[in-house]
Amino acid sequence: MMTEATQVGGAVIAAARTVTKIYGSGETEVRALNGLNADFRRGQFTAVMGPSGSGKSTLMHVMAGLDRATSGEVIIGETLLSTLNEKQLTLLRRDRIGFVFQAYNLVPTLSAEENMVLPLQLAGRKRDQAWFDQVVGAVGLGDRLTHRPNELSGGQQQRVAVARALVGQPDIIFADEPTGNLDSRTGHEILDFLQTAVRQLDQTIVMVTHDPISASYTDRAIFLTDGEITSEMGSPNADEIYNHMRSLGA
Amino acid sequence: MILKLVRRNIAATKGRLLLMLLSIVLGVSFVSGSFLLADSLRSIFSQITETAFAGVDAQVRGVEDELATSFEPLRFPDDVVDQVASLPEIELAEPSLTAVFQVFTVAEDGSNNRPQGPPVFAGSWAGESEVSAFNLREGTAPQGAEVAIDSTQAETHELAVGDQIRVSGPGLEDFLPVTVSGIVTFGETEALGGAYFNLFELETMQQLMGAEGLIDGILLNGDDALSNAQLLAAVEAAIGDHPDLEVVSGTTLADEQSGDFNEIIDILGYVLLGFALVVLFVSIFIIYNTFAILISQRIRQFGLLRSIGMTGSQLSRIVLIEALIIGVIASILGLVGGIGISWLLKQLFAAGGGEFPDGPLIFKPRTILIVFGLGIGVTVGSALLPAFASQRIPALAALRDGAAARQSSRSRRILIGGLVTAAGAALLLLGLFGSVDTTPRLASLGFGAILLFIGVAALSVLFASAVTRAIGRPIEAVTGLTGRLGRDNASRNPQRTAATATALMIGLALITGVLVLTESLRSSFDKILDEAVAADLFVYDDNQQFPFASTALDRLGALPEIADVAGVSDLRVEIDGGVESASGFDVVTENRVLDPKLTEGTYAAGSDGVLVFRDTAEERGLTLGDQVTVRFEDDFTGEFSIVGIFDDNALFGTDWIFDRAFTAQRQNQDAVLFAGATIADGIDIAQGQAAAETAVASFPQLAIENNAEFKETQEGQINSILYLVFGLLALCIIVAFIGIVNTMALSILERTREIGLLRAVGTSRRQLRSMVRWEAMIVGVFGALLGVVLGLVIGIAAVTAIPDSFISEVSIPWVWAIIFMIIGGLLGMLAAFFPANRAANMNVLDAISAT
Repeated sequence: MMTEATQVGGAVIAAARTVTKIYGSGETEVRALNGLNADFRRGQFTAVMGPSGSGKSTLMHVMAGLDRATSGEVIIGETLLSTLNEKQLTLLRRDRIGFVFQAYNLVPTLSAEENMVLPLQLAGRKRDQAWFDQVVGAVGLGDRLTHRPNELSGGQQQRVAVARALVGQPDIIFADEPTGNLDSRTGHEILDFLQTAVRQLDQTIVMVTHDPISASYTDRAIFLTDGEITSEMGSPNADEIYNHMRSLGA
Repeated sequence: MILKLVRRNIAATKGRLLLMLLSIVLGVSFVSGSFLLADSLRSIFSQITETAFAGVDAQVRGVEDELATSFEPLRFPDDVVDQVASLPEIELAEPSLTAVFQVFTVAEDGSNNRPQGPPVFAGSWAGESEVSAFNLREGTAPQGAEVAIDSTQAETHELAVGDQIRVSGPGLEDFLPVTVSGIVTFGETEALGGAYFNLFELETMQQLMGAEGLIDGILLNGDDALSNAQLLAAVEAAIGDHPDLEVVSGTTLADEQSGDFNEIIDILGYVLLGFALVVLFVSIFIIYNTFAILISQRIRQFGLLRSIGMTGSQLSRIVLIEALIIGVIASILGLVGGIGISWLLKQLFAAGGGEFPDGPLIFKPRTILIVFGLGIGVTVGSALLPAFASQRIPALAALRDGAAARQSSRSRRILIGGLVTAAGAALLLLGLFGSVDTTPRLASLGFGAILLFIGVAALSVLFASAVTRAIGRPIEAVTGLTGRLGRDNASRNPQRTAATATALMIGLALITGVLVLTESLRSSFDKILDEAVAADLFVYDDNQQFPFASTALDRLGALPEIADVAGVSDLRVEIDGGVESASGFDVVTENRVLDPKLTEGTYAAGSDGVLVFRDTAEERGLTLGDQVTVRFEDDFTGEFSIVGIFDDNALFGTDWIFDRAFTAQRQNQDAVLFAGATIADGIDIAQGQAAAETAVASFPQLAIENNAEFKETQEGQINSILYLVFGLLALCIIVAFIGIVNTMALSILERTREIGLLRAVGTSRRQLRSMVRWEAMIVGVFGALLGVVLGLVIGIAAVTAIPDSFISEVSIPWVWAIIFMIIGGLLGMLAAFFPANRAANMNVLDAISAT
């Protein structure tokens, strides 16, 4: 089944061109990505789905400059990541990409607010106070800013992580199973919030998930099998995704 | 921002930094303590000498000869006093005669009163005057058969004014009974490093020394209206007909005196500093390890920071700033700790009989600079490698469990470790065998040792796993599972195991090296005794090996119980233009008492012959009958022909032997360093020994020892050196011990989850504890093994390099080597005590859910 992706969003902000990623060599060789092509548009909320070992996490790592492709090209804005050295890649992550991980998102010794502005301060950039207030208001953490991570609930910690990704106004945010460690109610709050960030704050988010309900919050779901995109779904709903995944044998 | 992160990191991990901090503080405290002590002593002694010589304007004395070996200044006739005293410029001229280790007060049993180590001075004293260095605390100045003694001696031996005691002197047939007339202090000082002073009227002193009509100095106080230069000029003119006399100003005298003190203090300071630096060097490995472990514990955090855009250099800056802050804290604590250390050292000296006068602590800016430089330098320097390694932590470490910074490759390690080891070995060999000056030689030895230690530490990573597995094999065989787990843990992180073991290795390598030296010294000495000595009795000052008047030998020689007496004296002579050490020997006894192993010629040196050591003869191309020009202390110069060539220069320690009957006349004072005696036929040794003891009873400083006693005394002296070195190096071992505790504690924190899992599946607390203990024991034995092997190598190289005249045999302390390995294992087990308890007491559920 292959439905036409709804054209939500603007210009392509990130793209993968025949990206291959191979781990190991010889007998132990694993082809995590196999000549994969993908576009991600500004203002679009994308879910990357697929069974375990399908390469969805690898895709995210490669797209986000955390790891390098074996061949092919990853483009963020106008920048070809293969042309960047380690240092430039770090700066690209710092200035143009946001991250939300499944767990262990925050520096435990820094307060919520300090965690949020960490990338800005690393870059030596001034915070845009109006934007910061808007983000803090949106995540609803106004009264928790001075707390340390261990004084926050799991959901609050994830919201701080999302806020950190947003505060720097990156080109694109990558989220790796951001609700994987949360109960379903808290998870939905986070997903609502991510959706809001895309719709109202015009952010671009790519979320890796295996959960059909999470994916139903997105504008578009792409499905990976064996390192290739095998299908794509616009404005997906949970049932459709669930059925599709079953058909993929996941 | 980075600063804030650093501050928070330190606050969050302060418990984990504590032990490392302790190890740095110990080293830095010792550094600052040695400077504080040395500076304080310098200031105290310069003050003391200034006060003591405050009223002395000038002194007339003998000119010091470059060939003088004599421990006492040149003596000259006391009529010179009148020549000087009659000068109108002079108000007071006080003649003096002094002696070191010759005149003692004598206890009831006939033994001498003397402290262990510090000198015993004797001298003439005319009472308190402007030129007197002494002040009367009680009683009166000595007259006739009276003595004034210093307050330290009075307290130690419970002597008081009015007590009837006896004194010894080389000029006396028997002890001289005297009355204690007064108790004195040197200047205002109660305790002068534990030294004793015995003061007499000049005539009494001359009688004691057998030096009637002779003095060795005149203290002068001049007309205050005259300048010092005028005074000196006038005196110089008056003594113009005595070319061997000179006049020096009181300031020069005070400077020379405090210069002498400073020399001793410098040596003390350098020795202490040396040990302090060794301790600091050991702590480098502990700091390195702590940072490496702390970084690996925070690897996910660092990965996160990398993924949100922190650059590698920012990350390593975090680590370095942490190190900087810890270095600053350690330096401040170390500076304060130095006060405690210097106090402690003073107490130790006092306990050993060398009490120093009290004085203010001197904080020189130099001390503070060095302490901060070393404290910060060592900490930051040790953190450099872990800091650079942290740059290589991938951003993905935030996402993956078990991601680690890339390790440097095996071949690179072999290359770098091998090069450093080779460079260290080369420098050591250069220092040992190279023909260079003392300073570059010592520097080369020091740097060589440091490089060798670092190189071996780097290389040991390569075999740490294999060796610890081998050490652990029998443990596993005996204890089963807990030994197995401990063995696995000890071998699974070779870098950490190697660094922990290295800290222990350094201390034990140094101790083993010293042991090889002392054991070799001992066996060389035994060899001399067995092969080159036929003497039944040995006569010498067993406390300080100080020369004694040769009249003692005359008395022994006159005994019917004694067959032969052979004395050896210490000479400095100029041979063919070069100054050499030489010996005066009673050659008439040939090889009957002491055998230098004549290979050619005869012993008949007489007044125009000399015996020369085989190798020296070869070097100089000398054969029997050749002539050398020799000048003696009294400027007698003559042609001497080679009458004999000998094979064993270890016995006397010099390469030239003259006839003592001749050289005694050439020396300022006729004194002997050492003598051997054989007992006449038909007399048993105990009987001969008793007769000899009675004959020289008035020399209470002399020991008459038979072969076994002599061996025992010599070994005792070797042992006391050994114990001193052990004591100082024990600090290294303590720091290494802290290092093992530290590594074990940190490793256990790191393995919290794993320990939780082990507990969850049914490992008992007891099993967990023994697992940790076995791991630490294996690491301890590994460190000891490295240390012992390296120490043997260094020690053997050193013994080989030391001339045969000093150490001729290589002896390897196998028993000690095994004891050290056991000690290493025990230290490891002991160090694991708290970490093991901690592991055993972890809450299972908390441990499992820990991140």
